[in-house]
Amino acid sequence: TSLIRVVQFPLQQHVKAKLEKAVIENKGDVLVFSLCIESVLGKADYNHNKVNQWTAAIVEQSLTHLVKLGKTYKYIVTCAVMQRSGAGLHTASSCFWDTTTDGTCTVRWENRTMNCIVNVFAVAIIL
Amino acid sequence: MAEQPSLELAPSTQVTAEDGTEAPQPRATRRGSQPTAPSRGAEEGKAPQLLSRRSSVLSTLLGPPGSRRSSLGAAPGGKRPSVGPWLLHSRVSFTGLPLFQPIPETHLENTYRMRPEEGCRFNAGRVQRVLEGALAGVLGGTAYSPQGSTVLVQSLAELLRSRAKEVVPPRYKLVCHVLLGQQGQQSMLVASRALWDPESDSFASASFCNASLFAVATVHGVYFE
Repeated sequence: TSLIRVVQFPLQQHVKAKLEKAVIENKGDVLVFSLCIESVLGKADYNHNKVNQWTAAIVEQSLTHLVKLGKTYKYIVTCAVMQRSGAGLHTASSCFWDTTTDGTCTVRWENRTMNCIVNVFAVAIIL
Repeated sequence: MAEQPSLELAPSTQVTAEDGTEAPQPRATRRGSQPTAPSRGAEEGKAPQLLSRRSSVLSTLLGPPGSRRSSLGAAPGGKRPSVGPWLLHSRVSFTGLPLFQPIPETHLENTYRMRPEEGCRFNAGRVQRVLEGALAGVLGGTAYSPQGSTVLVQSLAELLRSRAKEVVPPRYKLVCHVLLGQQGQQSMLVASRALWDPESDSFASASFCNASLFAVATVHGVYFE
């Protein structure tokens, strides 16, 4: 019997899912999401009437970008916009999923009058 | 390896049966079964346990010298004798390092269930009530503090996730997100949107505020195909 074994496997489904998870959590995506936020909020000041459309636009654009990646994932995008008044804010998330194939990405953005936090959760679908 | 201990025990139990008991018959029938062997071992002291340990060590070793056998059997968790990898492992590569057998991954078979069963959906109203109750219970008397809130929000997220897990049907992945902030004069909006199958996946959210803090919790449930 040989002591050294050379084994080759074709890329199976669950291995592909793990590779795609690495792509989701890639730092490159963080840049794209912060650009999304920048394009919507930009230099605007916090306006209670417009906050609704701002958050909707941020979430829409993030989801569109994620769909363009073309992976077999379900996505959940959360966006929180808060007026800057010196108050503290903490956020935490706890997920029950498959840690090998599912991942998350968080982007923080701020300007003079407001803070924005965008969370992206990607949950794998095994076809 | 499983057969060895019972075979070694058999002669010793036969001896005790002939000594004192009045009914050797039930003991003889139970001799072969593995689960009752340890109970007999307890009656006879430590000897059968050492016997079973020795046999398990022997199965992994190729052929150790006779002097080594007793030391390995007597102190399985204690001092390790300085043996090389060729004694402890069954395969060694040409470099002298041990070759570990690859651990086989268990691949589960396809169940072909694309949708949750009827009546087994993510019940948003039920989860929302659970979230509201949990938030009120934990944060009822708490005040905001910058250092304490970090730990509080993490433990709160885990607690809410475990509470939601109890009421949610199986095959659902959960994402629980909690925001905890200091109550000031500011305004805030939390929005979320998801790309999923609306028939099977849903979410529930609850909020809580008292004089010094506010909290918003969302739980998204995604069906795992």
